Amino acid sequence: MKKLFYSIALSVLVAAGSSCKKVDNYAAPNVTLKGTVTDAGTGKSLQTEQGSGTRIKLLEISWSANPTPFYISSYQDGTYQNTKLFAGKNVISAEGAFVPLVQVDDAGKTIVDKSQTVDVKDVTTVNFSVEPFLRIEWAGDPVLNADGTITTSFKITRGTADANFQQNVSDVAVFINSNNYVGNNNYDNRYTPKLSGNDANNTIGKTVSLTTLGGALPGKRSYFVRVGARISYGLNYYNYTDVKEVKVP
Amino acid sequence: MKKYTYTILAFLLCWTTACKKLDTLPPSIVKDADVFSTAAGIQAYMSRLYSELPIEDFRYSPERGLNMFWIISPTSATTGEALSRDQNGSMQENTGLSTWGDCYRVIRDANYFAETLPKYASNFTPDQVNNWLGEARFVRAATYFALVKRYGGVPLVDKVLNYPEQSIEELKIPRTSEEKIYDFIGTDLDYAYTNLPETNQAGRANKYAAAGFKSRAMLYAGTVAKYNQISLVDASGNRLCGIPAAKAVTYFKAAYDAAVLVDGKYSLYKKAWAAGDKNAQYQNYVNMFFDASSPENIFVRQYHYPESVHGYDAYNVPRQLMGANGYSSEVNPTLDFVEMFDGLPKNADGTIKTTTGGKYDLYTNTMDLFANAEPRLRATVVFPGDIMKGVSIEIRRGIYTGPSAGGISPLLPAGSTAHYPTDNIVQSANASQTPYKLPNGTTMNPAGLSGYFTGDGTCSVSGFSIRKYIVPDKPTSEVLENRADQTWIELRYAEVMLNRAEAAVELNALGQSDKSYVQDAFTQINQIRERAGADLLTGTAGVTIDVVRKERKKELGFENKQYWDMRRWRVADKEQNSTIYRTLMPFYSANDNKYFFDARLDERNSRYTFDVRWYYEQIPQGEIQKSQNLIQNPGY
Repeated sequence: MKKLFYSIALSVLVAAGSSCKKVDNYAAPNVTLKGTVTDAGTGKSLQTEQGSGTRIKLLEISWSANPTPFYISSYQDGTYQNTKLFAGKNVISAEGAFVPLVQVDDAGKTIVDKSQTVDVKDVTTVNFSVEPFLRIEWAGDPVLNADGTITTSFKITRGTADANFQQNVSDVAVFINSNNYVGNNNYDNRYTPKLSGNDANNTIGKTVSLTTLGGALPGKRSYFVRVGARISYGLNYYNYTDVKEVKVP
Repeated sequence: MKKYTYTILAFLLCWTTACKKLDTLPPSIVKDADVFSTAAGIQAYMSRLYSELPIEDFRYSPERGLNMFWIISPTSATTGEALSRDQNGSMQENTGLSTWGDCYRVIRDANYFAETLPKYASNFTPDQVNNWLGEARFVRAATYFALVKRYGGVPLVDKVLNYPEQSIEELKIPRTSEEKIYDFIGTDLDYAYTNLPETNQAGRANKYAAAGFKSRAMLYAGTVAKYNQISLVDASGNRLCGIPAAKAVTYFKAAYDAAVLVDGKYSLYKKAWAAGDKNAQYQNYVNMFFDASSPENIFVRQYHYPESVHGYDAYNVPRQLMGANGYSSEVNPTLDFVEMFDGLPKNADGTIKTTTGGKYDLYTNTMDLFANAEPRLRATVVFPGDIMKGVSIEIRRGIYTGPSAGGISPLLPAGSTAHYPTDNIVQSANASQTPYKLPNGTTMNPAGLSGYFTGDGTCSVSGFSIRKYIVPDKPTSEVLENRADQTWIELRYAEVMLNRAEAAVELNALGQSDKSYVQDAFTQINQIRERAGADLLTGTAGVTIDVVRKERKKELGFENKQYWDMRRWRVADKEQNSTIYRTLMPFYSANDNKYFFDARLDERNSRYTFDVRWYYEQIPQGEIQKSQNLIQNPGY
């Protein structure tokens, strides 16, 4: 009786095990999508911040006409890369501190559509050329003053002539941090000087100098400096310069 | 044998013919007729509707959502009103919560009620039926308001949806515009105002609750129209996020008119109030939150131990009044909050004055600094050394043992977030303290009984504790989780007055002059200030939008309102921009036998940054997967 029971149990197990023929043999995602978001005016990559800065929007239309978007966050220097994607046909656009590539009017009609439809496979490069809201240029390197503060000079100009994106500049800041990931997402507000309201808006077109707050900066270390500014539009993205290092002895 | 077979067969035959009614519900299931035929059944239905109403009460936090017992990440610790060891930054509501789905369940229940009750109307008087239909509309409007303030435009469902009678495709209802949702809320509340009775059972809405809620909702809509910068338009032209700026006047007028409806029906609570008597004004303000007969309570949610409870006292009492669960001091008001009030010594820039000529001011008792504090502040916040439940709440950062001749210089440079130097300061890591021997021979614990402890956060981390809503006479044996049952006042007349004042000032700013709006705002604000024992406004020139907003922050502090106000004003990203909030640390100087206070940035260095995206919260991904026509809010 026991023998019979075990043999039945065993044969059930074998039958159950051998029926598992279909293993998930779909290839792991191995397609790379990369590229750069560049400023159409200067040809340089458009600086941003990680997290709430530039991101690339993918709509995979291989399977559905109305897919859920997939996003890739860009690095702070404006490049992006994802090496674990599935191959497929995608409508790709970018969002960030620049004139939107896809614009919808109040009636819901798409009036501008600069997204790219791309067959993403192997290693695909998709670049975007955009008009930033603001263009911020260094006016020389940041200077370490005799009193231990840092003075930064810069100039902000409009990056686009489009009348719909000429809102007032709401904030200007010289972000200071102790590592090179510096921006509105990551800075030390003990030292970071900021302008807002009319003071911020009046900086347009002028060379402005701002000095760090809080007296002499603690020494024997490097500080990373970056100028950011934003207009009151949409999600209030910041435009940035690149990052400069200041060594404080 | 055969005989038995026939007998059984005959028996079975008889049995089957008896089964005539096969299509009948088991009697254990409650049917519509059971509920809708009697007033008691209706009351049971209402009880569920109200208990599921999505309001941010004692059982709410952004981290854990609505109707949750465990509130150790309090809402006020996300807004800068307070600091908490368990909440160290700003946040949008936790995206894993089921708020979206829960709200639509309440909406379904309300719709079902409104559609089913008329079939049973013959059992009741027309007045009863109208009152109840008004309540269902009130509940539905309040629920849509909970959705629209979070997500912007949401799918508009105004009738019961049925599956499988309606197909899945048909039920994937897309979002409608934010403006339409607010208009829908306005219409529902107008209907409720018309149909609801003058008075109702406590915890249920009467017509003035509907008017009060309307003033609140329309004020939100007006401020969104005026201050919002975010836009999201779907393919058919519905603006899912944002309201056209041209609509601001319409909504502010609706808010103002709705608030005026309540005028004369409710009043500020002043039962124990006496002019010029700060102590009476303080006591009056404390009592307001516990008096069931308060003429200020418009809409409340009641609790009752043991069947419906919360744990407000257990989580928030000062450390030295801690109950057996081991929780305490989750809400510790910031110095930024305290500094908004009158009656404190201030520097020219509005910050609290603790030094003179670069040396600390010395005080015999910690309460001396607050001797003239505004009664409303004292009733909201526990100062170091103030009395609660008959004991002095002892909050001390440490003992300063350094030299004191010529005064004591600030321990840290201004703006520092560093820990205090340990050279001349004795402090305690936790509540088991080693007493320090003072020069006069007596001993003293380095830290107060309620903190500050440097090792664990189970203390007042800001130098203050919370008094508002803490039951003044609850014995420590009952300071337990799920043991508190004080009533939550969701809407009190002070808020309606503040809504009215804000709408009035906004209307004036938008060039409306059909009424003397500024004068009216002036009157409202001064009534609130008078009751609070604060300094009165001297003229209408002082009535600015900033004054009205600040009054709102002060009056409604720790009532879970500021979380939403900061959003609708669209100021959260300015106020919380890598912001560190301030604390006030009392020290005892051993050589002076006196106290001094150090105002400083939060030693724990908690930085608050509000992401602009959070003005419209993320729609749960699960909901979009279920209904693919839903468009996600910008930035997610």
